[in-house]
Amino acid sequence: MTLQNNMAKNQRGEAAPSSRMTGRERQMGGFSLLLESSDDEGPEEVTFEDSKADARRSMKRALDTARREKELLKEKRRKRQELFQEQKKRKLLSAEVLEEIDSTKQEQSHVKAEEEAEPEEVEGRKRNWKQNAARNLKGNYTVTTVKQSTLASSQLKAAEDFLHSRMYGPGSRRTTSNEMLSLENKMGKNKSAAVQFVKKNWACQKKAKAEKLKKTWIHMQQIPSS
Amino acid sequence: NLNVPKARNRKIQMGEFKVHRIRFFDYMPSAIRAMAFSTRTERLALARADGALEIFNFSDNYFQEKVLPGHDGRAVEALCWVGPRLFSAGLNGEITEYDLENLRPRYTVDAYGGPIWTIGVNSQGTLLAVGCEDGTVKMFEVLKERIQFQRNLDRQRGRIISLSWHPSGTLIAAGMMDMIRIFDAETGRATHRLVVDRGAGASKSKEVVVWSIAFLSDYTIISSDSAGKVQIWDGLNGTLIRTHLITKWDVLALSVSQDESSLVAGTSEGTVVQFQFLSSTVDRLDKDWVRTRTFKNHSHDVRALAHTETAVVSGGMDTQLVVRPLLDKVEKNTRESAIRKVSFPHRSLVCCAKKAGVLLFQFPDHLELWRLGESDGYGKPGGSLPVKRGPEKLIQLKRKGEDHICCSALSPCGGWLAYSTVTSFRLYRLLNGSISICKVSKLPKDLRPAHQLCFSTDSSKLFASSSNSSVVVVALNEPECKYLGTLKAKYGCRQPVHLLSASENGKWLATANTDCEVHVYNLDKLKLHCTVPVYGSCPTAMAIHPTTSNLVVVHADQQIFEYSLVKKEYTEWSRRLQKQGLHSLWLERDTPITHVTFNPKNPAHIIVQDLFMFCIIDKSLPLPEAKNVLYNQMTLRSLPEPDRVLHSHGFKICKDFQHLLCVSLLEDHSLVVVERPLLDIVSQLPAPVRQKKFAT
Repeated sequence: MTLQNNMAKNQRGEAAPSSRMTGRERQMGGFSLLLESSDDEGPEEVTFEDSKADARRSMKRALDTARREKELLKEKRRKRQELFQEQKKRKLLSAEVLEEIDSTKQEQSHVKAEEEAEPEEVEGRKRNWKQNAARNLKGNYTVTTVKQSTLASSQLKAAEDFLHSRMYGPGSRRTTSNEMLSLENKMGKNKSAAVQFVKKNWACQKKAKAEKLKKTWIHMQQIPSS
Repeated sequence: NLNVPKARNRKIQMGEFKVHRIRFFDYMPSAIRAMAFSTRTERLALARADGALEIFNFSDNYFQEKVLPGHDGRAVEALCWVGPRLFSAGLNGEITEYDLENLRPRYTVDAYGGPIWTIGVNSQGTLLAVGCEDGTVKMFEVLKERIQFQRNLDRQRGRIISLSWHPSGTLIAAGMMDMIRIFDAETGRATHRLVVDRGAGASKSKEVVVWSIAFLSDYTIISSDSAGKVQIWDGLNGTLIRTHLITKWDVLALSVSQDESSLVAGTSEGTVVQFQFLSSTVDRLDKDWVRTRTFKNHSHDVRALAHTETAVVSGGMDTQLVVRPLLDKVEKNTRESAIRKVSFPHRSLVCCAKKAGVLLFQFPDHLELWRLGESDGYGKPGGSLPVKRGPEKLIQLKRKGEDHICCSALSPCGGWLAYSTVTSFRLYRLLNGSISICKVSKLPKDLRPAHQLCFSTDSSKLFASSSNSSVVVVALNEPECKYLGTLKAKYGCRQPVHLLSASENGKWLATANTDCEVHVYNLDKLKLHCTVPVYGSCPTAMAIHPTTSNLVVVHADQQIFEYSLVKKEYTEWSRRLQKQGLHSLWLERDTPITHVTFNPKNPAHIIVQDLFMFCIIDKSLPLPEAKNVLYNQMTLRSLPEPDRVLHSHGFKICKDFQHLLCVSLLEDHSLVVVERPLLDIVSQLPAPVRQKKFAT
């Protein structure tokens, strides 16, 4: 409310103090609980023109604020749209790069066709093409079309993904075969150790890591003693 | 960070044999995804995650009769028998009907509803309903040679994960996300909506998936969901009767018995919970579904179930098929009441080139060629021999196309390699000691995709089984192979050939098909020589003796027969064996013999092998009687020499090696034993659920 009042003040410039006061007083007057004005004083005299001007002013204020809000929203929307467009543009290769790729391909075929006829000219063009290539296609990669997957195969994949996520996805509370077999070893009639210790070929990486740690530890132990 | 065991080829001394002990065949079975049992034909159809289909004959000792190879992207989710016809539906959006006589898909129909999650046939066998990703239940008419789209039921928002027909064929219950819909099959309208509770805790934020559903004739609906519940609903009023919380994880499968008195539910924990329709009081008025037994036969999720009249069949991510007979339906402590586990295929995936010392391993998507290692010197029985040169992988051949490999073979000299899928056949020439490989491009047009392949012992001919139990014979030549002829069985043989065996002298070829018919052909004349009398059980392995030309056939019920091809009658030893009968422990073995071979040094020996043992049958020794100990090799070793002769019998069984995928004798008289330890398979399975156990 205070911001609007200030803005209204700015718009109005130096408004008549009496009307300002009147406005404030009217505001206060509305809250009969506030005891700013005593009951002894008589009511202030307010002319019809003043109140009409006041009403017009408040309506104008309301319209102004509504218009301002609309403009703000519009700005926001426009900015967001621009951002999206830019993101989209960034995703696709810039038109220039595509043109270059096309042109280099054409040049390549040109080069091949004229190879026998004019070796020197071809050399020049080749060099040109190479420079172009170096400028635009950074790094070593080739452009190929993706294999067209049919609707049926994509639906099949989606269905399989659904099944997989229901059975093995988050919340499925699963464990590994190693754990399951190790538990069986521990609970079985002839109790034995977890499977990765029973079977030589299991958990090779873990064993290698443990071996490395052991060697490091022994080495550390030997240093202070030597 | 679990590593697969490195290649190991240990040579050990075993009795008179040097043994190559091989563990580098990284065979990895595929998870069981769906199954369907046909009561009429007593056959169980099983679908695996790689798209392969298997047919088990439950009336013939659970023998794996047929295997249809898989296909990239087939992703079968559900199977359905319509009489003798088999249909599957998958995430590729297609319904496939299979030709079980030629072991290939007959045709596929695109349902145009996106991935298909479930399939079900009405009890009349006239309409096939499939539940699709796009929320439609599509109805197809079952016609004589094909199926035809009829109409869609009311489209729903959300995928249809499971469905079940009411036995009358008028209603369909469909399990979806967070709810069950009941449809009127005639009008197509959805009549009821049953809301399934999401459960407490973490489950509350995720949608609950109704994985499986069953509609009973008294209009009760049984549903199982991802919140671990089995719920009983009143299908007429659409109300919930009872909830049973049976696990903390998902209940993935349901199966109801034919008489609707028992049902089983499979969970992600690997348990199968049975409910029975029982009454608590004597007068049997207030029957209710009561939880009775819990079976824990799997270490990983149970994704497929079938409830037969006498047993519960389960399968899932641990790739094992388990048949659990119900003890109130079979006699206790008999062979029928024992639990059966099928962990490995009932056919050989290893081919041994006896002269070259090279092994061929068949995988669904590639073949591997390995040369065996060498060792010098001799050692004590049971001791390891020093390895001079280790085994080496020579070639890895990846198959072309999307079909998986159906069969493969390696010639004894190691110079020719052939494999077949359902759509193509390829032959390769191996040179420079099987190191370099080149494809033979000019093949006779009669050489079509085969179910079984076999090279002749002198590596001059290739035999390929074809439709109607016939065999195509091709002469191996470079650059072009010549078609020699087709061996035709008698008229009316429709079943595929699953066993091929050529004699060492090149004169005979024996074939066996899944109708238990064994035919023997004379290769000089390229004509049928004789048909062995049909025995009721399917042959699982056979071979022709090199010198006596006796055909030895072993069957799924563990019977052994020896048939003289020259005299066209059973041999004297075979009749003696039949008269005395095989030892009861031999007959109780629950894995079939997959390999029969002979010992060149001793013509009286027959070497047979199953998953857990190999046995040298010595025909010159007496047959074991019922009172004898069958597995007596260990005790015999401890006896002094003269006593051994008294107690010996003709079945010398060795159980030192397990799980056996192949036992073969090389030309240098050393034994090749290919093992695949089950632990190596289990260690590579996907993640099981985390069970909290006390004191761990």
